[in-house]
Amino acid sequence: MSVGLSEYLILAVILFVIGLTGVIRRKNLLMLFFATEIMLNAANVALAALSSYMGDLTGQMFALFIIAIAASEVAVGLGLLILVYKKYGTLDLDDLNLLKG
Amino acid sequence: MMPIAINYDALNLVTLAPMLVTLAGALLILIIDLIKPNLDKSLYVTLTILTLFIAFGATTSVKLNSRGLFDLILIDGISVLGNLIILIGSILFIPLALTKKRFHEFSYPEFFAMFLFMIFGFQFMVSSDNLILIFVGLETASLALYPLIAMHNTKPSIEAAVKYFTMGAMAAGFYAMGSAALYGLTGSVELHTIAQVFQERIHEAGSIIPIAGAALLLLVAIGFKVSLIPFHMWTPDAYEGAPAPMAGYMSIVPKIAMMVVAIRVFSLYFDLNITLIKYVIIALAIVTTTVSNMMALVQEDVKRMLAYSSISHAGFIMVAVALDSTKGYASIFMYYGLFLFTNLGAFAMLWISRRKTARFHERYHHPYEKFAGMIHKAPIAAVIMAIFMLSLAGVPPFSLFWGKLYVISAIVDKGYYTVALIMALNSAIAAYYYLKLIVYMFLKPAIVKDGQIVYANRTLALQTVIGFAAFVTITSIFYIQPLMSYITKLIVATHI
Repeated sequence: MSVGLSEYLILAVILFVIGLTGVIRRKNLLMLFFATEIMLNAANVALAALSSYMGDLTGQMFALFIIAIAASEVAVGLGLLILVYKKYGTLDLDDLNLLKG
Repeated sequence: MMPIAINYDALNLVTLAPMLVTLAGALLILIIDLIKPNLDKSLYVTLTILTLFIAFGATTSVKLNSRGLFDLILIDGISVLGNLIILIGSILFIPLALTKKRFHEFSYPEFFAMFLFMIFGFQFMVSSDNLILIFVGLETASLALYPLIAMHNTKPSIEAAVKYFTMGAMAAGFYAMGSAALYGLTGSVELHTIAQVFQERIHEAGSIIPIAGAALLLLVAIGFKVSLIPFHMWTPDAYEGAPAPMAGYMSIVPKIAMMVVAIRVFSLYFDLNITLIKYVIIALAIVTTTVSNMMALVQEDVKRMLAYSSISHAGFIMVAVALDSTKGYASIFMYYGLFLFTNLGAFAMLWISRRKTARFHERYHHPYEKFAGMIHKAPIAAVIMAIFMLSLAGVPPFSLFWGKLYVISAIVDKGYYTVALIMALNSAIAAYYYLKLIVYMFLKPAIVKDGQIVYANRTLALQTVIGFAAFVTITSIFYIQPLMSYITKLIVATHI
């Protein structure tokens, strides 16, 4: 059995849905950030597969940019998480409830 | 290996000038801090304003409809208008750092450097039609904005930054997936090439569903950033937790940048006659305006009320994006240009009365009770606040009345009478919560006898900004016609 474009695209969609479910369902902020990274990586898989299928380098270039952005997102996000942990003593989303209404 | 010859004329580096100025300013601030630490913040404020003014001049002097840097940068009418609104908003925002009370974030020069990096990102976002560059600009700006909120270093501000961050990261995922879909359908990431390929492929059987699906993914990403309901969860919390001027800034500059992207993306779809997208946008806009108006009615805090009112204004504008007419596009920029002064002025009025601790409520810094009887203690401040509120409510002759008038007339021109009626009714509902504050200020007895409460944070810089914003709000009747013709001229020059 050969792996073609459609298998890669299905994988990308599955990853995207897993990531989206994670963002909606997860209560731990660290896990929530992992879920957003999965969403970005789903786009990476799709872009790389499409780019290889079409013989055009633009998609792979886009994927490289997304990797760089995902890395900087982690840097900023973890910095924020450390601040949250210092102030609140927890990473549970339900405990961040000063602002609501 | 053969050297690659690049023609400098084809690079057209002039189109990069506004961004490079901002970048140079940010680096200069970092270098100055490296050489001589612990300088006063007023120096950095001055440097930032100077940089922004030079960038302003550079933006207006670039030739219209020019492309540069291997066609990555596109300077057309809407990018110039977007750039101008971003820069004016930033110039008005940054003097608000010169407060009487000391706040944590302004003691760092990095705050000002990061602020300029953020504007750098927004400038790239509005002046490109390449999906990669728009994404990089969007994320540069967003990733600089989250720490700017968190640097206030209070529990609510960090919570606000984290909530904004999570939703922003999710929006980035949707944007990346939407662009991947567009790339898969057309083999290009440049919107003008995508438009051409779509025109050829739209007649193929079964092509309409993936094409519309890509638009819906991008609509979710845009919806998060301009806070359309149901993607608005982060907005009121982020505005309440952020310091008041930052909240006012967030209700204008990031949104106008995303609006420009929305215009570029969706005008491509309107050319294909996919009416589904048009109706989805209009439906989202109506829901946004109505629901956020209802939520604003029940708020106890003026800042949170203004947050919901900003959401409802964004919904109001989003209708104009779906109109696909010159007048509709012109009214977007018109509205944001006027909304900038009024809304930033209103948030600056909250900032001027800010104390370190909340006195009137265990949670809120600016409950309605704080403003009770303000006319007796601080008549000028009460009158200026009332002018901002009347303008937000759309009472003539104040500036936002003209904005609402142009948007509604653009809607009527397209024949959507029901939509126009709903929007007009919403403006009437919105008047209630703006007038509630005026009633508190003018008719209720004062709780505290101390007039200082209103001016706790007052400095000359803050008064200048508020005075200027109030001046622009009041005198709108004199400049509205030339402004509209200038904006229309730029929109007509754009190929959208």
